[in-house]
Amino acid sequence: MVPGQLTFISGGVRSGKSAYAETLVRGAQGKRNVYIASGVARDREMAERIARHRKDRAQDGWWTIEQPQQLSEALPLIRKNDAVLWDCVTTWLANELYEGFEQGSLCADTPGCMERKWQELKTAIDSIRMKAVYVAVVSNELLDEPLVDQTYQEWLGKIHQWLASSADEAIEMENGLAIRRK
Amino acid sequence: MHIVFGGAFNGKRKYVKEQLKPDPSVWLEGELPQRGETAVIAGLEQWIRKQLEQQCPEQDIIAAIRELAESAGDRIWILTDISRGIVPIDPLEREWRDVTGRSYQYLFGKAQHITRIWYGIPQTIKGDGRDEYLHENWG
Repeated sequence: MVPGQLTFISGGVRSGKSAYAETLVRGAQGKRNVYIASGVARDREMAERIARHRKDRAQDGWWTIEQPQQLSEALPLIRKNDAVLWDCVTTWLANELYEGFEQGSLCADTPGCMERKWQELKTAIDSIRMKAVYVAVVSNELLDEPLVDQTYQEWLGKIHQWLASSADEAIEMENGLAIRRK
Repeated sequence: MHIVFGGAFNGKRKYVKEQLKPDPSVWLEGELPQRGETAVIAGLEQWIRKQLEQQCPEQDIIAAIRELAESAGDRIWILTDISRGIVPIDPLEREWRDVTGRSYQYLFGKAQHITRIWYGIPQTIKGDGRDEYLHENWG
């Protein structure tokens, strides 16, 4: 079984990376186009935006899976030869790393916690690729400034490096221009 | 003179170790070698920050970097991009970005070869003699 092609796309906020990723997934000729969304609404504007995006995509023939954490839970919902878009790594990482915020025990502060989630993430992506014909992973550029949150940024760099090395193609988005790095 | 440039946690040091294979004994973190010494200089932005915290004026910092860069010896500079965030309110934080940016501009002008690392993927942005995007490269 040949794993589905993996594309890693990263860029700044409003760089057009999600729109570009959607174009790639639509062009992949999967049986369905599946959108795995990791964003969580923290205020009304975000809730409205998520609902609007979801509606737009549904009209455009997309299946949306809301998966803010534990990407592996999306796996049973993915069917053979789907084309999959996961948007995005940065929100997923924030959701996982700051899990337990309300309980006062952050995953970020618990030894081994993020390490385990990271292993699970790699397995989940590899498993999705075994079913899907195509997978696009979208993320953000957050490492070109002095460190604000070292733990978060270190994990993000590690995940991005893994994605860039596992991907068949890696794309940096610059204001709507897709620069192919791999 | 070779610069390896990119954001934090992008795999710059890994690239230098695996691809450029320098002598590990000349590897410096957050400090400058003596003039004329062969070295790998990593964490220059931390060295700059330390100087600023000790009230060292900008012209002295830039002069030290210039004198080193103009001296004999084969050096690799690992430069971390800190330029793309929000401009902070704190004066020292601002000055740090300013001096680091000006130092990088000088070093970029001086280097024969610049490799940008994006999540482990290298790209020559100066010095391959073709396919160079910046017309200022030759200045």
